[in-house]
Amino acid sequence: MKRNDGFEAKELPAAVQETLPDVYVDDLLVSIKYFIDEEQSHLWIKDHALCARCRHKPCLDFCPVSVYTLAHDGKIQVAYQACVECGSCRVGCPYNNIGWQLPRGGHGVAYKFG
Amino acid sequence: MNTRDERISFDVIVVGAGLAGPAAAMVAARAGLNVALVERGQKPGSKNYFGGAIYTHAIEELIPDFMSRRPPFERPVTEAGFWFLSEDGLTRMTVQGGKLANQPADAYTTLRAPFDLWWTEQAQKDGVFLIPKTTVVDFIREADGQVIGVKTDRPQGDIYAPVVIICEGVNNILTQKLGLIEHDLEPAHLALGVKQVVALPPETINARFGLPDNDHGLAVSVLGDVSLGLPGMGFVYTNSKTLSVGLGVMLSTLSEYKLKPYEVLQRYLQHPAIAPLVAGGQLLEYGGHLIPEGGYRDMPKLYTGGALVAGDAAAMVNALHWEGTNMAIIAGKLAGETAIEAHGRGDFSNKVMVGYEERLKASFILPDLKQYRGFSHFLDTHPEFMGTYPAFLNDALGDFFSAYGRPKMQLFKGMLGSLTERRSLPRAAGDIISMGRAVLGW
Ligand SMILES: Cc1cc2nc3c(=O)[nH]c(=O)nc-3n(C[C@H](O)[C@H](O)[C@H](O)COP(=O)(O)OP(=O)(O)OC[C@H]3O[C@@H](n4cnc5c(N)ncnc54)[C@H](O)[C@@H]3O)c2cc1C
Ligand code: SF4
Ligand code: SF4
Repeated sequence: MKRNDGFEAKELPAAVQETLPDVYVDDLLVSIKYFIDEEQSHLWIKDHALCARCRHKPCLDFCPVSVYTLAHDGKIQVAYQACVECGSCRVGCPYNNIGWQLPRGGHGVAYKFG
Repeated sequence: MNTRDERISFDVIVVGAGLAGPAAAMVAARAGLNVALVERGQKPGSKNYFGGAIYTHAIEELIPDFMSRRPPFERPVTEAGFWFLSEDGLTRMTVQGGKLANQPADAYTTLRAPFDLWWTEQAQKDGVFLIPKTTVVDFIREADGQVIGVKTDRPQGDIYAPVVIICEGVNNILTQKLGLIEHDLEPAHLALGVKQVVALPPETINARFGLPDNDHGLAVSVLGDVSLGLPGMGFVYTNSKTLSVGLGVMLSTLSEYKLKPYEVLQRYLQHPAIAPLVAGGQLLEYGGHLIPEGGYRDMPKLYTGGALVAGDAAAMVNALHWEGTNMAIIAGKLAGETAIEAHGRGDFSNKVMVGYEERLKASFILPDLKQYRGFSHFLDTHPEFMGTYPAFLNDALGDFFSAYGRPKMQLFKGMLGSLTERRSLPRAAGDIISMGRAVLGW
């Protein structure tokens, strides 16, 4: 699979950066309906050692529901239950280090409005 | 293992009950074919997401009397256009009247969960057999590669058919499995769209947006400060009792600038010109979805023996207008017609499947995608269209309408100055030419 092995980080002017508000993602998540698959996750990290070497860790940024977070031990943890199956991490991890499947039929996000 | 007689088989299998899938299925079923429509969601629509507005020309091509079947539209789009946001200002450029007063309207604001359910029900009325809560995981193929069915995640879940129409949406996993496209779409060709559906009383919506009643609606694309001046676009749609407010930013941009989409969205909702429009509203639903913006450049091969691809799975989106619903529906229809032809001739090989591509060439889909092929690249290389120009417009118009008692020549010089401070005139002229090239194919 063709994949860019990284990207150039860029910076916004500090004055613009400061205008980004803090958002408590759980406030957004409560509005989404899910049929959670309690038995199996449809997302997984293939190799945690690779994450340790990943400089920018963009999965922590682009996921619209903040499924990926950094645990105290520095490991990436995956709260697959919140995933809205957008597919961003499937193609956006620069090391192709995220295992990604569609949830089993009937499981996962169930938009009421869409 | 099933013997041939015990096999579950259909004439056509359609994967995905979004917009393309039910269109393909209903066309094939009307010709008397036995059609299965497989959908992974709890219900058709559970997984589907957009801005958005649906264009009726496509619906009408399949269901001429669609209005009498009471589609769950929100409001007719009677006002449409662009809003340009600067840091603290807003310039509106919208049209109303004329074609926007057509009845039924050319476009309706819509929510996808109810709409896709209705759309699939119309296909079911034509005899399509819906198989929900079922994920297609692979294909069943002959030794020579000819597709003859699909494997699902149900126990004994193999389903056979000589034609499989793939309408799986932007995450083109099955399309890749067939080798129709060799790699994932690149983050620089995908926009991540996030949106909030916000509840407000209809009278409040009417008053805030200057709409005379509930039978009038607004659909606008928002440029500029909405995406921090980076490649991206926002939107506002007025629904019956809700607003759909959101934005799309390139996935690569989110990574490069370490942006969290929900923070960019919250910032937009707090903009001094936007906040009063959503004030007091209740968040009903947040969500996110990718948009394939690469268009023509990212199209897979559209067919192989026994299989066709339609809609987002084939990158059929016009990135400038975010028109995807109509392309998906018409492409689905053309795929359905190709399946009918194949059954008529008893030939499911490439020889007949290529007819799908011919049909797409003769429709608006391939010509439009070809014409706009430079557009997403254009935005990559001309970020000033997102930042500089919207800010300039606000300053210039702001000056124009507040320059009372100032010599007018001074005013125009000031406006020119405000532009050239941001971008030299020759460069601005160059921008316009390359914009024209990208959009009009000059
Ligand atoms: C934020 C945003 C705003 C947009 N705004 C607009 C707009 O205003 N107007 C417009 O015209 N377009 C808009 N679009 C584009 C438009 O939504 C899409 O082009 C359109 O939905 C494509 O339809 P589709 O049928 O190809 O795919 P989808 O609608 O994505 O349908 C795919 C279906 O396949 C199912 N599926 C996928 N894989 C499997 C599998 N393996 N097994 C079983 N089922 C499967 C899914 O559950 C889904 O139901 C927008 C898109 C986004 C993201
Ligand atoms: S999952 Fe991918 S993007 Fe995230 S830290 Fe690991 S390697 Fe980096
Ligand atoms: S698919 Fe989208 S929502 Fe799910 S984890 Fe990946 S980025 Fe987050």
